Amino acid sequence: MNPVTSLILRQMRAPLIVVVAVFSIATLGMVLIPGVDDQGNVWRMDFFHALYFVSFTATTIGFGEIPYPLTDAQRLWALITIFFSVVGWFYAISKIISLVQTPIFKKAVIHSNFKRSLNQIHEDFYLVCGYGETGTDLVEWLANKEIRCVVIDNNPEAINTLEIQNYLSYVPGLEADAKIPEQLAYAGLSRKHCKGIIAITNSDSCNLKIAITSKLLHPTTTVICRTEHKDFENNMKSFNTDHTINPYDTFAHNFAMAMKSSSLHLLNEWLTGVPDTSLNMPIDFKPGHWILCGYGRLGQRIYETLKKHNHSVTIIDTIADLKQDFHRKFPDDDTDFIIGTGTDEHTLKLAGVENAVGLIAGSDNDSNNLSTIMTAQMHNQHLIIVARQNEMINQELFYSSYADIIMHPSEIVARRIRTLLVNPLLITFLDECFLQSNDWINIAISKISGAISEVKPHCWTIDISRDAAPAMYRTLAMGRKVTLKNILKSPIQRQENICCLPLMIERNDKKFLLPAEDFIIQTGDKILFCGIGQAEYHVSHCMYDIHSLNYIMSLKNAPDSLLIRYLTGSTKQKRRNND
Amino acid sequence: MNLEKVIFSFFMILALTLNFGFFYGDVHNPDHHNIYELYAVIVINLIATILKFGDRSQLGAMLLATSLVANVQLISAAIVWAVAAHMQEAGVTVATMATIVSLSGGAVLANIISVILLVLEASILRR
Repeated sequence: MNPVTSLILRQMRAPLIVVVAVFSIATLGMVLIPGVDDQGNVWRMDFFHALYFVSFTATTIGFGEIPYPLTDAQRLWALITIFFSVVGWFYAISKIISLVQTPIFKKAVIHSNFKRSLNQIHEDFYLVCGYGETGTDLVEWLANKEIRCVVIDNNPEAINTLEIQNYLSYVPGLEADAKIPEQLAYAGLSRKHCKGIIAITNSDSCNLKIAITSKLLHPTTTVICRTEHKDFENNMKSFNTDHTINPYDTFAHNFAMAMKSSSLHLLNEWLTGVPDTSLNMPIDFKPGHWILCGYGRLGQRIYETLKKHNHSVTIIDTIADLKQDFHRKFPDDDTDFIIGTGTDEHTLKLAGVENAVGLIAGSDNDSNNLSTIMTAQMHNQHLIIVARQNEMINQELFYSSYADIIMHPSEIVARRIRTLLVNPLLITFLDECFLQSNDWINIAISKISGAISEVKPHCWTIDISRDAAPAMYRTLAMGRKVTLKNILKSPIQRQENICCLPLMIERNDKKFLLPAEDFIIQTGDKILFCGIGQAEYHVSHCMYDIHSLNYIMSLKNAPDSLLIRYLTGSTKQKRRNND
Repeated sequence: MNLEKVIFSFFMILALTLNFGFFYGDVHNPDHHNIYELYAVIVINLIATILKFGDRSQLGAMLLATSLVANVQLISAAIVWAVAAHMQEAGVTVATMATIVSLSGGAVLANIISVILLVLEASILRR
């Protein structure tokens, strides 16, 4: 039995017995006490009428003395009936109402609803632990892509926020502590549909615990972890956590990309960004002097990148210990290390803001970062500004500041997980691009901008397999030759090309970057596309629907119905014989 | 001795005995079947049912089911009686009486199963 129903029934025993007892005694009394009918004869109420009388009296409806006016003896009994039955009735009702309001009942209802919605998920889902900034961002995107997910968070506020969201697919949320294995299992880890677990709480130790629990209880589930410390990251990797994401490392990698080639950075921003948002402009990194405000986890990584590209750097940080650490780590380094906040004019001038080419506002305080940016901008209009944004609520401020690159840890993690979950091929593609020459990347950028409009493109992967692309699979199985050019036509009007570009084809560990139009597709290929949203819909549709595929490939449609196929079968046979 | 168990068993056995008392006699003869007894059976059965609410064990579920069956049988018998007595011109005929008594006979069976389960449960428990 459902725990909620069971709880109600158990609590309702006493009130219900009171109601039954009062009703039955009152009814019996009404039957036993003699009355008088309209003729003056002795008349007794039978059980039917007595129960009717007691029922409308007890519920305070009170139709009156029917069918005949009561005698004084009956009225006395009716009086007693009224007091006892009305009290009993209200007692039962108030008991139900108070039961509904108890916290234990509410909790039972919440758990039972959560369990029911989990049971209704009959497809693969991801378990997201932590509904903070990253979680909100990620869950919104997953849900609107109709990828099922389940959220747990130990903060009731977060779950309440989730409840009022209006996502395309329903996301069940549970207030639970992900550190406790039992609760993690209850939240869906132990279900066969649980495809992966995403640990993005703000505590590394909690994420570590989630990873351990998942790997021990369910070694087959994919585990993606957010981590900010190297030792935790190594710890997670030691027991085969599938993916660990360190926002600082990821950003430092992107920054290194930008340093190496601004086109590469642009390519990364365009392809991994949120589709249909405005395109980033290229940033030109000139060699010169850089000011690094904040020498924390982010600052240290960026410093290494800057040094690798032979830029001179001045570091500003408030903590003197960091300066000592710095000198101990790089004893031969003559880099200036100024103790200060970097928000005031004096410190910035001392660091050489007037002649610098770039400034990194990388402290963990948003107000300080914004202040640094504004002060620096006043002294040098041509600065390249990299800003670290710590909180989502300051998004608008950073957008309207002069920052050229905004580094927002939650956004970086969310973006990385998005790509990992739906488009792992894109990561391979970007890694391959990192190895290519600058000219090649510029060609790629110009090809992409030819295929897309003024907004960031959608990226998607098509797997030429029986399940993922049945129409294509059938066509290839028939021995037809299909080139990329064939499938990049609109299924509405085949003379028109659709706005998309195949970025890469993966075939048995071999990768073909920017394949040519006459590339012949084979079964088992994985094709990475980028293009406008409509193109994604069109291409995916043609992979499923044989009629559309035949249409865009200008082939005659084979009859689908059994009868027509039978009738035309003989003629086809003849034609083939003639050939 | 557990007072709760005494009350529980009391109502269940009383439901059976009263039910049997009403059922016993000539099926067609209204004189053999007292309306007050039927009334008492219904009330006692309702109380017995409520006492069984909320038990999540398998045995508890079966006990509740037998009681619900008995209730359905007895309340239909009462409805048949009320309809015959007040809404039909012929009143409570021999045929109607037979229907009422046979319905209560079904309830007797359900109550017997209920008591058997109760005895079984008691015998399984170690003293």
